[in-house]
Amino acid sequence: MRHWVRTIWNTRGLARWILLAGLVLVVAFVVMAVLAPWIAPYDFNQTRVDGDKLPKLAHPSGEHWLGTNDQFFDIWSRVVWGARTALEVIVLSVLFSILIGVPLGLVSGFIGGWADRALVFVMDSLYALPSLLLAIVFSFLLRDALGGGIVAAALSLTCIYIPQYFRVVRNTTVSVKQSVYVEAARAIGAPPTTIMRKYLFGNVVQSVPVIGTLNAADALSTLAALGFLGFGIQPTEASEWGYDLSRALDDAQAGTWWPALFPGLAIILLITGLTLVGEGLNETLNPSLRRRRLVPVRMPAMGPSDHYGALPTPGRGPGGRP
Amino acid sequence: MSSSSGGSLARYIAVRLLLVIPMIWVLLTIVFVLLRVAPGDPVSAAVGGKLSEDALDTRRHALGIDRPLIVQYLDYLGDVVRLDFGHTISDNRPILDVIRDQGGATMTLTIGAFLFAILIGVPLGRVAGRYRDTATDAGIRIFGVVSYAAPIFWVGIMLVLVVVKLFPGWPTYDIASVQTKFLVEPKTHVLLLDTILAGDGEAVKDVLQHHVLPCFTLGLLLSGVIIRLVRVNVIQALQGDYIEAARARGIPERQVVRRHAFRNALVPVITVIGLQVALTLSGAILTERTFNWPGLGTELVQYVTARDYVAVQGLVTFFALVVVIVSLLVDILNALVDPRVRY
Amino acid sequence: MYRARRALALAGVSGLILTLGAACGGDDGDGGDDGDNGSGDGATSAPWILGTTESITAMDPAGSYDFGSWNVQYNVFEQLLTIPASAEEPVGDAAESCEYNDPKTITCTLREGLKFSNGDDLTSSDVLFSLKRNIEIADPNGSSVLLYNISDGAEENPTLAEGAIETPDDLTVVFHLNAADTTFLKLLSTATTSIVDEDVFPADELLADDAIIGSGPYKLSQYKPGEQAVFEANETYDGPRTPKADQVFVQYFSDPAPLKTAIENGDVDIAWRTLSPTDINSLEDGGKVEVIRGEGSEFRYWVWQLQNDVPKEKAVRQAAAQIIDRDAITANAYDGTTAPSYSIVPPGFGGQKDSFKEKYGEPDVDKAAALLEAAGVKTPVKITLGYTPTHYGPNAVDEANEFADQLTQSGLFEVKIESTEWEEYQTLYKDGAYDLFILGWYPDILDADNYLTPFIRDGGFFQNGYSNEEVNTLLDSELAETDPAAREEQIGQLQDIVAEDVPLIPSWNGQNVAVTTDKIDGVQETLDPTYIFRFWGISKSE
Repeated sequence: MRHWVRTIWNTRGLARWILLAGLVLVVAFVVMAVLAPWIAPYDFNQTRVDGDKLPKLAHPSGEHWLGTNDQFFDIWSRVVWGARTALEVIVLSVLFSILIGVPLGLVSGFIGGWADRALVFVMDSLYALPSLLLAIVFSFLLRDALGGGIVAAALSLTCIYIPQYFRVVRNTTVSVKQSVYVEAARAIGAPPTTIMRKYLFGNVVQSVPVIGTLNAADALSTLAALGFLGFGIQPTEASEWGYDLSRALDDAQAGTWWPALFPGLAIILLITGLTLVGEGLNETLNPSLRRRRLVPVRMPAMGPSDHYGALPTPGRGPGGRP
Repeated sequence: MSSSSGGSLARYIAVRLLLVIPMIWVLLTIVFVLLRVAPGDPVSAAVGGKLSEDALDTRRHALGIDRPLIVQYLDYLGDVVRLDFGHTISDNRPILDVIRDQGGATMTLTIGAFLFAILIGVPLGRVAGRYRDTATDAGIRIFGVVSYAAPIFWVGIMLVLVVVKLFPGWPTYDIASVQTKFLVEPKTHVLLLDTILAGDGEAVKDVLQHHVLPCFTLGLLLSGVIIRLVRVNVIQALQGDYIEAARARGIPERQVVRRHAFRNALVPVITVIGLQVALTLSGAILTERTFNWPGLGTELVQYVTARDYVAVQGLVTFFALVVVIVSLLVDILNALVDPRVRY
Repeated sequence: MYRARRALALAGVSGLILTLGAACGGDDGDGGDDGDNGSGDGATSAPWILGTTESITAMDPAGSYDFGSWNVQYNVFEQLLTIPASAEEPVGDAAESCEYNDPKTITCTLREGLKFSNGDDLTSSDVLFSLKRNIEIADPNGSSVLLYNISDGAEENPTLAEGAIETPDDLTVVFHLNAADTTFLKLLSTATTSIVDEDVFPADELLADDAIIGSGPYKLSQYKPGEQAVFEANETYDGPRTPKADQVFVQYFSDPAPLKTAIENGDVDIAWRTLSPTDINSLEDGGKVEVIRGEGSEFRYWVWQLQNDVPKEKAVRQAAAQIIDRDAITANAYDGTTAPSYSIVPPGFGGQKDSFKEKYGEPDVDKAAALLEAAGVKTPVKITLGYTPTHYGPNAVDEANEFADQLTQSGLFEVKIESTEWEEYQTLYKDGAYDLFILGWYPDILDADNYLTPFIRDGGFFQNGYSNEEVNTLLDSELAETDPAAREEQIGQLQDIVAEDVPLIPSWNGQNVAVTTDKIDGVQETLDPTYIFRFWGISKSE
């Protein structure tokens, strides 16, 4: 970890600022999510104050900073509570995906053989499905079985991303497996679990944060799309930006712009933030893209710089070695 | 999954093609299981609010969906092997007809979107890579990220509002006017091609006009990916040894950049397009809904809502097939072009 | 003979229209225009475009049970009877008349010289064929259930009941019903009884959508599923429903947002079903298009699940019926685009009375409290309220919130709101997961019975556990009752019992709304509770 922080600090140029900008955005939303009960003036499904109904489609004003929407909700509250929903779903889905995808990839890559081949095949097949499709089908499947919109949404997103983590981790495992120090460890009799834990894990896990943040961004986008199509979280269960957007769109066409603008902005900003963090991490941790703070001195021992593509590509040589 | 060295390109292609079949089978099974396990069925979706439980059961029995799952699965597989994908349950259309009638629209939408994406993304990516770490670079990168982050349906509706104000009369939905669709003969079932074949200039213009907004919207989403990729590749290319050598030889920077860096940066774009097909199809589904585009995406959402198993299975399989084949084509291209890829 | 009849009919119609035109004082151009066109037998209106979000299941009458399909069938086929615009009782369409010989026998006499659009003659054997194949095909998407009274009711391979339909000659059809049924004439006007050409339609399976042949005012010229359908005037049609426009386009939309843009910009001439209340109100305020409202028969209602403990107590059900503020629901959840409903039967049906209004009057929390106290029920009463988020449109959640709010605010109820997607919802509400849940209804036939038997006979189709002997007896007698006044009396009694027992709480009736450009004429008349969209009467001026 310290090594990473030092690496980031020593980077010159935009990469650092991108990472920082992204972090600022993400942290802002995290703060919103965590402190929602204190920041939001109203509950996410509150339509009355002291027995009086809130106004419908009220303009942004001192009373309601971002106005109210056509369901009598205060928009600022919906945005703040929506941050909580968004982050809950994202964190859950990324966590589940990593918890399942990474160990699976590690074990599969290490064991090799038929099991590995079969698993790779299945994962590649899943990868070929458009993620939105899978998400829709899974949301039908899981939503009633689990009775909770948030968990169901998170799980339906999980299933889409497991193949990604699996693929990257497995391919890195396969290539690292061949290295000398792993052979040496095997020679001295280290059991497979020790090898996986001590030697492989640290190496293969490097690309996970980058993929994780980019997946988080994608998860939010898919969640909003599900909400738009009507397969998402209901307003009575939690506040979800995509749903609010879908309700706001025909108001927008009538000239009432605020119910559509603010949830839309929230989605854009959070996805942008997460993507910037991912990009920033990639630029600072990927040696071929990183610009160091020091004067670039050409040393004969510098590694090859003709990496293909931006992300640590599977199967094309070691990715992200420090 | 590379075969032993010394094999020919032909064998590589053959192996990959053969692998398509089990891949499709795996997908079919996954989708089948998911759909049947999910609650609801086409009968309750359609008339659940009108008929008694007994009447619903009679209909389910008539459709054969109350049989044990394994029986239905084997039955379906048997049909698929004979290339009979069945009829949709909710409106009795042969699946192959659905794909034939609506597939063309989705195809022209995605191709048009890619064209826009390349038109927007490549020049911007080049500039960003060339002027790395400047304000221009930052601006372009932010544009790239935001265009990817913005929800397509939101962008679509906003664009429609703008266009309606600025260019009244410009078509904002559907693939062509009612007259054009009525008069053109469906020979290839791709409307654009049919209008060209019919030699009807007005109709061609009509169809192209209708394509602009949806393709632009989807293209905007994709351009973000392309900007990022082109930029990174330009940067890496500019760091390469042969660039240093060219500079050392005194070749002007402009030529260095144009001739060497830019050209190399283009190759991975093809790869990425192949990898992004799945993403594009997801985006196409949303775009089609927003613009009432008569493509497979719209049909798919409709059939999923109607719990029309047969239709969804058939369409999802088709989507997956497209992704797989495009990836295959891209891999073959790569294998041809890049000697480092072993086959 | 044939031509003389036609000239006579046309003269009669023109005379009528001219009189009407004069009566209207000629201030709106309607009377004048119609007068000019009435004497010609051709259509002179410009082609017009209808935009709708309804989709088509099947054009074949034996294979559909939904609005989109039925509407095409009303325009392309003839039925024995038809309900004219804004009328209540059916009149002759393909038939000159249909009459009851006795409560179980009906004789219909066809008009002479009827032809299908391909030139084939339409005779009584076509009628027999159409109904027989409908029952035998028993398509899972079809509406053959409606023909139960002439079906043999077999589980596997159903067919016409023995002797159910007789065709003594080419122009006569005699029906022998299984049981007395005074609603059968109305059934003969529904799309499911459309007359198809026996030489074209297969007897054991559905015909492909683009091959259908009918005898109605329009014929189907092109059909691109999910995109558009094109209709052209049928030259061989000579009945009363003369088509005004030569060409009609129908564009199918998968989402209401582009439909709204389309009607606003005049890309389509008429938008009918379904725009949201917000869209409709904003279009009305915008002033560029006309919003036309007619009476509808859509029904939204809250059902009590009497298999659960809490709703078993009548006082609880009555208290909720006493508290519900329908005006607030209409205003807050639907922006005033629906009409509060005070009875299980909507207005406009013979025998209707606002029983809930009579019994409960205005929403009154005190009266409700008194009801609960008298029955010894402890408050607040805990109930679970269920709704389904997408099937009934996006405003269902608003209605659920509003109603739950009203109940909670009264202090007498503690309401937990739950929702599930439509598929699971159906299983859940039948299993008793909700105490009170929302459902919607469109009638199959325009008769009060269609709002009674399916709901209150032995639990209804939704199996809510309500069963009342008195109700069942009354239902039997009203179905067999031939005297209209006596029948209306019985229907009134049934509504009163419902208001007393409260197996369900009526919420609202929908309007039949269409949005048109100002060049369109003839839409107002067709917006009636039948939801039949009559293309033939609509015209567009250039």
